[in-house]
Amino acid sequence: MNLKYLAISAVVSVLFTASCKEIEDDQKNQESFEVTDSSAAPTVMPEEHDVSYNLPSALQIAYVFKKSGASFIPSLLNSKSKAQEYNTNNYKRAVNFGIYSADLAYCLFSKKYEESKEYLKACKETGSFLGLNQAFESDNIAQRFDKNISNEDSVVKIVSNVQLKTDLMLEQNQQKHITVIAFAGAWVESLHIALAVNAKEKNKKILGSVMEQLALCPVIIKALKNHNDSEPEIGNLIASIEEINVRFNSIEAVQKSIESDEEIDFNTLTVADSELNVITDLVKNLRAEMIK
Amino acid sequence: MKKYTKAFLSIVLLPFLMAFQGGDVLCNSKELKEKARQALEPYKYDSAELTRITYKKKESMKEVEVPLFIGEKYRIVFELEALPKQIEVQIYNKDKDSKNRKLLFSSKEMGDKKEFFFEVSKTRHVYVDYIVPPMEEGSYNGCAVFMVGYK
Repeated sequence: MNLKYLAISAVVSVLFTASCKEIEDDQKNQESFEVTDSSAAPTVMPEEHDVSYNLPSALQIAYVFKKSGASFIPSLLNSKSKAQEYNTNNYKRAVNFGIYSADLAYCLFSKKYEESKEYLKACKETGSFLGLNQAFESDNIAQRFDKNISNEDSVVKIVSNVQLKTDLMLEQNQQKHITVIAFAGAWVESLHIALAVNAKEKNKKILGSVMEQLALCPVIIKALKNHNDSEPEIGNLIASIEEINVRFNSIEAVQKSIESDEEIDFNTLTVADSELNVITDLVKNLRAEMIK
Repeated sequence: MKKYTKAFLSIVLLPFLMAFQGGDVLCNSKELKEKARQALEPYKYDSAELTRITYKKKESMKEVEVPLFIGEKYRIVFELEALPKQIEVQIYNKDKDSKNRKLLFSSKEMGDKKEFFFEVSKTRHVYVDYIVPPMEEGSYNGCAVFMVGYK
């Protein structure tokens, strides 16, 4: 008789565990916003590292840059009509998603709302190649953007909400490496804009902002190294950013700050044009490679 | 009657006990980040990091480097409710391998709070260290979330 009870309970246990698993899987599917694009399917399981890196957003970089009084130069932006051309591999999709995010952020904080709308569309298009459609389609984002178009705080909130959703979706789909590559793209685009605006305006505050962005080099390199095996192009990307970092560290004032282990005030720095020109060329080449 | 009680207990209790054998706490990233987002107000959302925590027999540590822009004001919100046992959050100005690093914050001051925040400015980096206490039996997992906002 005891055996009978044990057998019944074992069968119920299996059914109970199986149904729990189904519920869990259903929840996972819902939370992952039903990513259907097979091209964006996760290729690697996330690695557990003892040290990880939390990278800032393209929005924050643009916000800080705008506070330096930088002007808006539309010719610096990547052509929004090229979005379709980037649907070739995950690296190209991610890096250009980041580039368009930086362009959108630059337009947004320059109060160029019509342009912002266009770049939001470009982000949506490249985002869709990565399976991020839901982040752009939920909550009537396009309509809310139109409705609040003249209110900077509201549109910034809408865009940062999209960013929160894309971050979450990439994390749930175990595509953290895409977040890092996209950030590298956004950083290169922001730096390209900042260097060009600085060359035109020669302003201490703008130069300070350029240097702040360059100071992100080491953390981007470390974050990319954590995902080195995820995409074949990451190795070359790391090498290019390392080259920029070497040039940045060789700037006399930066070198002194590294030696003294003190945080330097970049707004008081003087940097020779020749030192900055080398970095500008490296950034220009890396960006050209990304957007071609 | 006794035999029905016995059958009931084996049918109801056994599966219930089996369901909790893993020892993991459900890590609902979306829910945790939504909570953090609310606690971030009025700061603007910048980024968030979910860290998987595995309890081992010995105390262990996980570190997250957070680059910041000097001169900006930041709030970092922590959500620790998806953990089977409380961990300590420490924030430093330099990484774990640096000799002269300074402790800027410790969650010890917060007691058993599962949600709290830390505000910082005038620095280019902070290093968030999760100090994971040892667990005697089984393998336990959970996750910790923090969200960064700027003003």
